[in-house]
Amino acid sequence: MLKDVAQLVINGLMAGTILAVPAIGLTAIYAVLRFPNFALASHATVGAFAGWIANVVLGWSIIPSLGLAFLAAGLVGVATDEFVLRPFRAAGFATTAIGSIALTIALENLLRMIFGNDLRGYDLPITRDWRFAGLHLGPQQVENMAISLVVMAAVFAFLAFTRAGKAMRAVADNPALARIKGVDAVRVARIVSFVGMGLAGVGGMLIGLDTTIDPLTGFRVMLSVFAAAVVGGLGSIPGAVLGALTIGVGEELCLLVLTPNYRSVVGFLAILLVLILRPSGLLGQRAY
Amino acid sequence: MGLLTVSGIVAGYSAADQILKGLDFAVQPGEIVCIIGPNGAGKSTLLKSIAGLLTPSAGSIMLQDRVVTGMAPPDLARLGIAYVPQEHNVFPTMTVRENLEMGGYVDPKQIPRRMEDAMQRFPVLGRKRRQAARTLSGGERQLLAMGMALMVAPVLLLLDEPSAGLSPKAAQELFDQIQAINKGGLSIALVEQNANEALAISDRAYVLVDGRTGATGIASELAADPDIKRIFLGG
Repeated sequence: MLKDVAQLVINGLMAGTILAVPAIGLTAIYAVLRFPNFALASHATVGAFAGWIANVVLGWSIIPSLGLAFLAAGLVGVATDEFVLRPFRAAGFATTAIGSIALTIALENLLRMIFGNDLRGYDLPITRDWRFAGLHLGPQQVENMAISLVVMAAVFAFLAFTRAGKAMRAVADNPALARIKGVDAVRVARIVSFVGMGLAGVGGMLIGLDTTIDPLTGFRVMLSVFAAAVVGGLGSIPGAVLGALTIGVGEELCLLVLTPNYRSVVGFLAILLVLILRPSGLLGQRAY
Repeated sequence: MGLLTVSGIVAGYSAADQILKGLDFAVQPGEIVCIIGPNGAGKSTLLKSIAGLLTPSAGSIMLQDRVVTGMAPPDLARLGIAYVPQEHNVFPTMTVRENLEMGGYVDPKQIPRRMEDAMQRFPVLGRKRRQAARTLSGGERQLLAMGMALMVAPVLLLLDEPSAGLSPKAAQELFDQIQAINKGGLSIALVEQNANEALAISDRAYVLVDGRTGATGIASELAADPDIKRIFLGG
């Protein structure tokens, strides 16, 4: 029993680190643009397919393929925000969030038209699991976790040390003062859309590396990603990481009492509990 | 030619709600001008209009010999107008150092030198440079807000009720700092509820009433005026 729990916690931590990447994207976009961009789901799928083209069609290895996933999802994110979501923003939070749901359905179906419904996998070597004290670790899962940690470190470095990152944090902190100090809100919106959706794309491909991809890849994890951001505190980047680890471990531990089909109950339950007990989330709305 | 000349300005938050109704206002080089008056008289609206946060529907604003009416805040910051809002005037989760950096956002090359100057002028900011702004006291936060404004090496500093919410001791220290900044040659327009102290450090003053100039003159003379004393100075 104890070994089962330990295995589930390890699996949960690995799943949580991957989940943290798109959750950071969602929360960063929320912190700056003040709406939950549910189109993150389809952008994760865009990234997964862009990475698949690079890896399977062009024969690139995983790391450059992830770079293309980031770039493709980021650029699509900038374009969709500019031409689809930006006009909604004047109508307020709810309208823009609903607009993002419509956008994600449209993008998802566009991908279905191009790639079909078949499940696709990346070109990965077949490897044996590592065994340690009776616990199993998949080399690919460990690699995915390492990539996620590097991506997270890069995001934190971007926010801490670059002019664009600091401008993003300033807008998240106090948009009116940021405007007075000369920060161009439109430019910051583009940067956060690029980075946020780029991270969704990387997240989509990492999920695909662990399983397979299809046009619903992003949609299937959207509840967990949203729950992670809400649990950590919507708008808080460290919160998104903490929330993702909580949801990842929670989803695995629930398998002790539930079948995998009911795994998504963890996301719903977590959102419900946080909204009742601590609406600002575990770390509040501190952007960074 | 004055440093700042505001002529017949009409401005507000909507076309139906004009707060300033043809106001004239001026700041000469090197002086502190305070703006006092009852709530709703248009004191903060005047500063916001000068800072580019509100676009006047009539009238003009000139900085030195240049018309700046309706210009955007970053462009005005580049021309040397620095505005410190009454509230929410720092980035709370960013460190003191990062706040100062954001203060100089429009002129990044000068940030290292000006940050050093700001930390020398306000040593507490140097000591607390790694602390998040939200952990500072009210007085320290106002000093940080002023330090951020000085990061663009302004020719005119607009301060909106800097002593609001401060203890008398912290407010006095802040007024001392404002005077010290002014002694360095920087012109300051100061909106204050704390009229006694504001008049004491100012060269000239405007009393605003219902979006218009009710009275204007030398600050010490206005402070001695029996009507002004009775209405605004508590005796």
